[in-house]
Amino acid sequence: MSASKNEAAMPNRLPAHGLVDRKQLLSFKFDGRHYSGFAGDTLASALLGAGVRLIGRSFKYHRPRGVLTAGSEEPNALVELRSGARREANTRATVAEIYEGLEARSQNRWPSLEFDAGVINSLLSPIFVAGFYYKTFMWPAALWEKLYEPVIRRAAGLGRASLEADPDTYEKSHAFCDVLIVGAGPAGLAAALAAGRAGARVILCDEDFLLGGRLNAERTEIDDSSGRDWARHIEAELRSLPEVRIFPRTTVFGAYDDGLSGARTFGALERVSDHLSTPPVHQPRQRLWKLIAKRCVLAAGAVERPIVFGGNDRPGVMMASAVRTYLNRFAVVPGRRVALFSCCDDGWNTAFDLIDAGVRVEAIVDARPMVAPPLMDRAGRVQVPVYVGAQVIETRGSRSLGAIKLRERDGRLRRLSADALAVSGGWNPSIALSTHLGGRPRWSNHISAFVPGESPRGMTVAGAAAGSFTLSGALREGAAAGAAAAAAAGFTLAAPPLWRAPDEASGVAPFWHVAESKTKAFVDFQHDVTSDDVALAAREGFRSVELLKRYTTLGMATDQGKTSNINGHAIMAALTERTIPEVGTTTARPPYTPVAIGAFAGPHRGKQFSPTRLTAGHGWAEERGAAFVEAGQWLRAQWFAAPGEKHWRDTVSREVTAVRSGVGVCDVSTLGKIDIQGLDAAAFLDRVYINMFSTLNLGKVRYGLMLREDGMVMDDGTTARIGENHYLMSTTTANAAKVMQHLEHARQVLWPEFDVQMVSVTEQWSQYAIAGPDSRRLLECLLGDAVDVSNNAFPYLACAEFQWRGIPARLFRISFSGELAYELAVPARYGDAALRAIMTAGDDFFVVPYGTEALGVMRIEKGHVAGNELNGTTTAEDLGFGRMMSKKKDFIGRVLSARPGLTDPHRPALVGVKPVQPSAQLYAGAHFLALNADATLENDQGYITSVAFSPMLKGWIGLGLLTRGPTRHGERMRAHSPVRGGDVAVDIVSPVFFDPQGARLHV
Amino acid sequence: MSESLIARAPWPHEEHASSGMGGVTAVVLDGLGLATVIVRRGQLSALTDRVRERFGIVLPHGPYRRAVGSLAFAGTGPEAWLAMRDTPDGFTELLTSEIGAMAAVADQSDGYAMLRVSGPKVRSALEKIFPLDLHPSAFKPGDVASTVASHMGATIWRLDDADGAPVFDIAVFRSLAGSFWHAFSYSAAEFGLAIAARG
Repeated sequence: MSASKNEAAMPNRLPAHGLVDRKQLLSFKFDGRHYSGFAGDTLASALLGAGVRLIGRSFKYHRPRGVLTAGSEEPNALVELRSGARREANTRATVAEIYEGLEARSQNRWPSLEFDAGVINSLLSPIFVAGFYYKTFMWPAALWEKLYEPVIRRAAGLGRASLEADPDTYEKSHAFCDVLIVGAGPAGLAAALAAGRAGARVILCDEDFLLGGRLNAERTEIDDSSGRDWARHIEAELRSLPEVRIFPRTTVFGAYDDGLSGARTFGALERVSDHLSTPPVHQPRQRLWKLIAKRCVLAAGAVERPIVFGGNDRPGVMMASAVRTYLNRFAVVPGRRVALFSCCDDGWNTAFDLIDAGVRVEAIVDARPMVAPPLMDRAGRVQVPVYVGAQVIETRGSRSLGAIKLRERDGRLRRLSADALAVSGGWNPSIALSTHLGGRPRWSNHISAFVPGESPRGMTVAGAAAGSFTLSGALREGAAAGAAAAAAAGFTLAAPPLWRAPDEASGVAPFWHVAESKTKAFVDFQHDVTSDDVALAAREGFRSVELLKRYTTLGMATDQGKTSNINGHAIMAALTERTIPEVGTTTARPPYTPVAIGAFAGPHRGKQFSPTRLTAGHGWAEERGAAFVEAGQWLRAQWFAAPGEKHWRDTVSREVTAVRSGVGVCDVSTLGKIDIQGLDAAAFLDRVYINMFSTLNLGKVRYGLMLREDGMVMDDGTTARIGENHYLMSTTTANAAKVMQHLEHARQVLWPEFDVQMVSVTEQWSQYAIAGPDSRRLLECLLGDAVDVSNNAFPYLACAEFQWRGIPARLFRISFSGELAYELAVPARYGDAALRAIMTAGDDFFVVPYGTEALGVMRIEKGHVAGNELNGTTTAEDLGFGRMMSKKKDFIGRVLSARPGLTDPHRPALVGVKPVQPSAQLYAGAHFLALNADATLENDQGYITSVAFSPMLKGWIGLGLLTRGPTRHGERMRAHSPVRGGDVAVDIVSPVFFDPQGARLHV
Repeated sequence: MSESLIARAPWPHEEHASSGMGGVTAVVLDGLGLATVIVRRGQLSALTDRVRERFGIVLPHGPYRRAVGSLAFAGTGPEAWLAMRDTPDGFTELLTSEIGAMAAVADQSDGYAMLRVSGPKVRSALEKIFPLDLHPSAFKPGDVASTVASHMGATIWRLDDADGAPVFDIAVFRSLAGSFWHAFSYSAAEFGLAIAARG
């Protein structure tokens, strides 16, 4: 591309200067049109350089909007970036870096940005005032969801989110440091260098991709070099220090709790790949950092505030500092004939910089009655018309600025042609991080702005963020804060660095609002809140800043009111004849700038949402085509479908039938296993279980039930005595961690005098249930001489430890299915091999693997309770274990289980249910009602907790909790399930449906 | 019917190894002897004496690992240690016979999956999943931490540097090996992850 063509494509780009890389020409698209910019441009600077001034339409009135700022505070220039699955809404063009092929689109316009039908809202603006929604759509309420809300949502809004899955990845990370420095402007760089030279571990974060802050946007000098060269020089030294980490493109968005050591946690977002079309391989799009810092220096700078006057939102009206940024950093002039409207000295620098760059400045309008003579002299030398004590009251132009109207000090009105208006209402320190933990800011009359009040412990605020607006002040405070922070962390510096910089003029007079303006004057640009809205809120009594915020939505947009809050509060103060400190300010909360939800999720999405625990037999189950079900973090085989089986219930019925008629194997490794040792282990178990364990013989297993302190059932399981002072407890899969915690609490807090040691050995052992009439024959084949499994040598509830094929093994004769059954445990590394060996040994007996569904069917057939019944609301008595509660000893939950409510004989208690019609299906959750009773709460007598189709009974069966249940076997009731539509007549029966004598256990 | 059983490591196949750079190296530590050791009531000094006498190891009181040869004790909780040796055979029995009177010993040789990770970029990979200060001055050789890594319980300790780069051992519950490997290899991928055979 030839140079002349470049210039044609970038009519507002100066031929030289700036911090863009002119050798790297980048092309990009905005609303389908091609443009060019340079590496180092933001989307805003590139569009302005290309002569584009209209960027979007406003939220409510669809007014044309351009670029207001050059930073993350931007309320207007919000665009949709990228396309397809990577489309992201509401991106600030002022911070989006351009890259080759970038696509951006304007938002909130239809059919096009140039002609937007929504402008009609502007004509209807009298009814779109504050409180409009509350007042207009009160009645009829039914129309709210169907009509009003959808229409409003379409008309008022911002960009559209992509509905496709985000193809990029996000990471989380942690970093620790002695000193965290937020902001790499002059104060932050000075602080980082002072702390870094002292040897402290320093983390320096800046939201910009270029360190230096305002130094990159100004023509100031430090010592004898330009500010921007000084920044590069300091950055180079910082990069040479091994303990300094520099994070550009990183926003510290929140301050959080501190720990015992005093180190505080901060949240930060690093935009790793936002400046690229797609992230490089193995790189995330963004990285969420948890930064833990002993000390923090907040050097976040300040945000220039607008002035509220008629037409202040017209494209071409821009913050004075932003004009300087575009001019000095990006070599872009925002207009050919520029005017300045200011109430502070700093704004005048914009006029002088523009004149030095050869841009015509039409006028300097300063609202102050008096301006410092040096400024007047300098303006006089460059022959710029100055209007002191004057105000801009109106702007004109169709889609962008063409002229301004001002009222001079003597009241005369004057119209001036101008295609750009630079505005400065003074500066607001960026104090958000100092207030995130509740610190209230303090009003400074000196700079007419809020400055940090009491900052969080360990945080120092320096430079413009502290209200020190001169460069020399920023450098001095930064160096001092950095050195002090390092010293507090134990690193001292002989002499903090010193630099020479001018004390530039920084006078400011409070000036917020041009009251004479007749046209719309915007306070909050992003939410279209005008000075009239603030006045309306004042008239209607919403005078507190918190009410003002909610009534008008002032400051509630994605920019959190960075450019609008103070102006709104100041107008409210004037209207209600209070001072700004009396009016106060609203609370800033994290995040400082928007953070994508994806960054908070990080890598934990989809299958990685939470960790998955796999048993050693998982691979084998996969080979066998098992369907898996989540049980907490575990994946368990749910069933093993055989070829030709059409419904999972067919599979489960086959598995149950095979176990009850032959033998089956089930992976039960996920059940909790707790190794309990010590001289007081038996006494300890007596106190945690309702039944006795000290009487359990060596080599025996007993079923046990434990209560919570409040008397409700906590968990059940078996415990084996494998040594004189050595027990092995099993818990349910779901409660394994909770029981461990419960036992640790009992050991450490309740009975520290006990000699008892416990540790989870769940992961050490793979355990398989081998159940069914042929299980003994299978084990005889499998175990050979290793252990005698005959009924005499190894009766029901026996256990043994032995060596099997050279490895330690454990065998327990316990049964959840009600069949002759065993559980074999082997060290987990042999879990896969042991399972294969069981299947091989079982080949002659047609052994089947069975899953959790068959397990569930069999336990319901046997009336064994499980998670559905151990649901935290049931007592031992409710579940039929009342007589198990030992009267000879104390145990956890004993006292409170005797509460009247828990011993009420009318409590729902465990029963079995069968439908009267054998073909009828039961539903868990169905409520018990008398046959003729209405389905009302008063008539409710309990509910069904578990149901299954029983292949043994050839029909549906269930367990339930029915008031006075055990006394009501034989009654007929309704099981009413309004949710699932079932209303079935059922017979109340014993909960043990199959082999009620338990004969099959003892063969 | 009596062929010996084949042991199987908990780690998944090498799905996330990335080539080049060699910033991070991972070695699967399989076939170690591991056991939890929890002191019996009032036996801390007796246990400390016995461990010094029988194994020549000063039992660490706190989150530290002390080793002599391949035998080591790592403090993992109040008066609790993870003892380790380079082979599982007879380890629990050895500990039980030597210190069983003063401590409860439980075999965990199969309970944990262990990785040895090293390399010039290993800290940068680990900081993504461990909420720990792993700076050389904050986490020294012999330091131990029981913590949460990417929502998984994990114990990590630092060994002496090798080839000028830090070396860490990480133990997670065996069942979590797949999820932990995913998290670790994802974190290390940008630095180049090499999987080395155990040396």
